[in-house]
Amino acid sequence: MDDVKPAGKETIEGIEIDYDHFDVASIMTQVKRAAARRPVEPLEAKPEPPAAPPAAPEPPAPAPSIPPPSKPGLKEIVKLKLSRAIRPFAPVIRFLGLPLHEEILASWAEIGRISRRQDELSDRLDRALEKIDRRFSDSAAELDRLRDWLDVRLVDLDRSMEYVKLLHNLDHNLVVELTKLRIEFETLKSRARILEKDLEAQTRRERVLEKRLGS
Amino acid sequence: MNVAFVVQRYGLEINGGAELHCRWAAEHMSRHWNVEVLTTRAHDYVTWADHYPEGEETINGIRVRRFSVPRPRDPERFGRLQNFILEQEHTERDELDWLEEEGPTSPDLLDFIRRRGADYDYFIFFSYRYWHSYWGIRSVPRKAILVPTAEHDAVIDLKFFKDLFRLPRAFIYNSEEEREMIQAVSGNHSVPGLVVGVGTEVPAGAEPERFRRTHAIDRPYLLYLGRIDQNKGFPQLFDYFLQFKKDTGSDAGLVLIGNSILPIPDHPDIFPLGFQPEQDKFDALAGAEALIMPSFFESLSMVTLEAWALGRPVLANARCEVLQGQCRRSDGGLFYGNYPEFRESLKLILASAGLRRTLGENGRRYFETHYTWDIIEEKYLETVRRLEEEP
Repeated sequence: MDDVKPAGKETIEGIEIDYDHFDVASIMTQVKRAAARRPVEPLEAKPEPPAAPPAAPEPPAPAPSIPPPSKPGLKEIVKLKLSRAIRPFAPVIRFLGLPLHEEILASWAEIGRISRRQDELSDRLDRALEKIDRRFSDSAAELDRLRDWLDVRLVDLDRSMEYVKLLHNLDHNLVVELTKLRIEFETLKSRARILEKDLEAQTRRERVLEKRLGS
Repeated sequence: MNVAFVVQRYGLEINGGAELHCRWAAEHMSRHWNVEVLTTRAHDYVTWADHYPEGEETINGIRVRRFSVPRPRDPERFGRLQNFILEQEHTERDELDWLEEEGPTSPDLLDFIRRRGADYDYFIFFSYRYWHSYWGIRSVPRKAILVPTAEHDAVIDLKFFKDLFRLPRAFIYNSEEEREMIQAVSGNHSVPGLVVGVGTEVPAGAEPERFRRTHAIDRPYLLYLGRIDQNKGFPQLFDYFLQFKKDTGSDAGLVLIGNSILPIPDHPDIFPLGFQPEQDKFDALAGAEALIMPSFFESLSMVTLEAWALGRPVLANARCEVLQGQCRRSDGGLFYGNYPEFRESLKLILASAGLRRTLGENGRRYFETHYTWDIIEEKYLETVRRLEEEP
């Protein structure tokens, strides 16, 4: 099985295999081209027969010595007019038979595939954008809700700050009053001590006076 | 050096990718280290229900300690949670709930790692997405090496995995693509990690004729090996293959080896053979025109490596970056991103014996350069050597 040792080049259905410089990548490039050239046929369809070879030229009929003048029929006139009409397109039509046409078909199929892929990616992108949009809307609603909640909390906070300020003033006043009371207390204490000393002096004087009166 | 391999399931009957990878790595590294395996009693990866007896046993010379999973996974609840965390805004708490349901939730296993952590030099955890790796790595981060076996699925983007990927001392990646993906997700460029993968053993005498005779397959065939389910690229492969038959009139058949959880179309060119012994699998592979890998998610396709080891070409799904990357690096396979590319690639492979041979030879060379067991073992040793040399 497969005993033949290959060498040189082999061409199978337009795909060239170079056994001396064998490269799968190069074969696959050709395979892809061939695949693009021959599109998928429906299961029932039969492969088109290859184009018929050009008919061999008929041997010229023996020319009559004097060609009889013949009037062209309707068929000949239509053919003539048609051939004149398509003459400007003749180079393009000739291209159809050249490999360039196959290249164009291959490229066309490739472009078709890429376009389909692009459409698919575009659809996916649209779906993803829609999803992002929905998420964004949801997030925006959530953000609004949070903002409202925050406003309420800020009002509470302002009120609390006012209370704190009032309490602070109250504290301050209390400290001032307490300080004043303390000073007054100290003054009264001094005055009490003086009165106490005055009373002691008066008591001693009283006792001296009583002694003198008794003696 | 004492090294523990920690994995969700372990056993000779278990053929899941990461579990088989772990068993092969443990068995090969036991030539260099004292290896033990810490695992659960589970056999079924859907529920993790206890199946194997608790305690110790020896499998192919490796001591295996099994721990119970007291709360099996409820697939319905798990599905709901997964849909929720993948589609809805959620918290890290929700992700942890998902992990609890993802399982296999084995507190005894975790307790053992915490209590006996000092007895081991390193713990090699397999599969980042399971409970045992998440909590195990958090328990012994300075001794943890992670083999993530990560695919490009949605859960890798969960937030809590970003932190997890920064915790281990080192990574053992399966492919360049896996490393790029994990570094892109977590930015863990500072955590050392080698691309290692896993080796494979191919029997010497694969006999394709025996396979053809046994299963009465008399035409060229493409082979798929593995589970047949949606994540593996079905039923897309059925659609592509049947359309290919109609479009080209090819006589090729499609041979499927592996258990199916999907209905398989009843078609004379599709041969569903179910589970087959290893020898039959390699016989089939040796006779296939190509291996088909339609999977969307792979961290490393072992059957792809086996196909290359046998010199067979591969046709892979280009949507799986790992498979495409391997085909490009090895020059051992073609790949397709849609039906026209499938048709053209398959036509090319079936039409050219020279192409099949060259792809297969390139694949074999790639396998021998990167995935023989000597090379894999050396990379494991190198990973640990680097950690030992760290200040």
